[in-house]
Amino acid sequence: MALLEIESVSVVFGGLAALTEVSLTAEAGTVSAVIGPNGAGKTTLFNAVSGYERPQEGVVRLDGRPVTGLPPHAISRLGLRRTFQNGGLFGEMTVLENVMVGADRATRSGIPGVLFGLKRHRREERRAVADSRAMLARVGIDRLAQARVRDLSFGQQRLVEITRALISRPRVLLLDEPAVGLSQAERDVLATTLRQLAAEGIAVLLVEHVIDLVMAISDRVLVLNFGRVLAEGTPDEVRANQAVLEAYLGSA
Amino acid sequence: MSDPRRLLWPALLILAALPPFFVNDYVQYILNSILVYAVVAIGFNIVLGYAGQLAFANAAFFGVGAYTTAICMGRWHWPFLPALLSAALVTALVGLVVSLPALRLRAYYLAIVTLAFGELLRWGYIHADWLTLGSSGLPVPAASMFGISLASDRARYWLFLCLTALVLWGSANLLRSRFGRAVVAVRENESAAAAMGIAPALTKIGAFAWSGCVVGIAGAMFALLLGRINPESFDLSQLLLHFSLVMIGGLGSLVGSVAGAVVLTAAPELLRNVAGLEEIVFSLLLIGVLLFMPKGLAGLLSRVAVLREHLYLG
Repeated sequence: MALLEIESVSVVFGGLAALTEVSLTAEAGTVSAVIGPNGAGKTTLFNAVSGYERPQEGVVRLDGRPVTGLPPHAISRLGLRRTFQNGGLFGEMTVLENVMVGADRATRSGIPGVLFGLKRHRREERRAVADSRAMLARVGIDRLAQARVRDLSFGQQRLVEITRALISRPRVLLLDEPAVGLSQAERDVLATTLRQLAAEGIAVLLVEHVIDLVMAISDRVLVLNFGRVLAEGTPDEVRANQAVLEAYLGSA
Repeated sequence: MSDPRRLLWPALLILAALPPFFVNDYVQYILNSILVYAVVAIGFNIVLGYAGQLAFANAAFFGVGAYTTAICMGRWHWPFLPALLSAALVTALVGLVVSLPALRLRAYYLAIVTLAFGELLRWGYIHADWLTLGSSGLPVPAASMFGISLASDRARYWLFLCLTALVLWGSANLLRSRFGRAVVAVRENESAAAAMGIAPALTKIGAFAWSGCVVGIAGAMFALLLGRINPESFDLSQLLLHFSLVMIGGLGSLVGSVAGAVVLTAAPELLRNVAGLEEIVFSLLLIGVLLFMPKGLAGLLSRVAVLREHLYLG
């Protein structure tokens, strides 16, 4: 059984079909990519999986358990984390605080402990700070820990958002255009990090326009066009697919 | 105590405990008012600054805290401590109720609904004579705690100081916890907060209940301070004062709230001799801060690096 199963999901916006019977499975330990022209329904697919859109038809299963209809925070707590295309950060908070929010589901402290600053709560906080700093170091941005997110460049913000999604050690990670705004060097770090994550048993799913990156790191590629699956397969299969060349890759 | 900076807060507290030994009755009363409004501002700031909710039920919370205290003590002859705890609890529940429209309504709609709620409660105080004695006001008997009389403003000052310190310390701890981070995260980006496993609705409810609890404590202090409360104390001008405290002190800063209380409680006393001047200066101050100092007094204080690191300036 695959870790994430998307089974013939359809989403309709006011009579307009945004997604029509899209299916995709993502195994633990793999990187899958969703590509396609603008408006093909890539982000809508992510929204349907993570609880932000409720599909009219079809079902999404996480580790065999149907999650369709659950609110986003409940799906997140089951081990699915996502990033957003247009900045999903908490701008007035520092980088460290942003990442700590991602870690907080794992922080165990009750109200009395928090109110009176009890020892156990302080220990938990210190552990959360240490974990968050370690994850920032892994993505290569630990020097930004105390910076206010609003003051960062677009690419730096992307990396913070990915770090924040990673810190909770999710089982499924959805990344919506993670490479936008990154320099070539940052893209290389990103590619290595994503492969490492997959090797650790995470199912990584990304929406991406940077085709080189997609083809280099993905095990499976799903091509969407007008809300329908145009092709699905390994990067080589997709690259050789005539329909894909005509609809998307050929024009790029 | 390896780090001398850890002594900052205890030292401030000891300094703050000294005034009753050398100030006159009039100044003592003003100092007590400052503490009441410091707690008010901390409580309001939680909803307005940290949670970013344009909810204007703060004067209503204040009134619920004060009336609960007055009813428990004046009508049922309870000692002060259980009356205070009841005020905190009842007002927390009222905060919870007010949070429900906040889950649905945004910005100005929420502002209007919560304003109406405050006016409705004031109408209730006036017309529920059997409980509140209506507009003639409800007397609050002199209190004592652990056998110590709280009949004088001096004695009350130390009680108020302890309560203010507790509220400030507890709120600062809460804000630096995962709950505090969740409150700010929901303010900054609700969708992204949900993607982190934070339940936005529950977080907002929690922030309102916590704010209510704190403002309820301030209401209890207010009841003790005045010795008699009446519905007019909780009208729109009270709310305007609360709003000014938070805005001038600094949105999202606890120490700013305390600073706002000091400035805005002391200033009217200095202006008292000229009729109408108080309101004018107040309004000008508010406009000036909104235009030129969006972070309020906290913004000024945070320019001093030592203060920025060791006070909760937000």
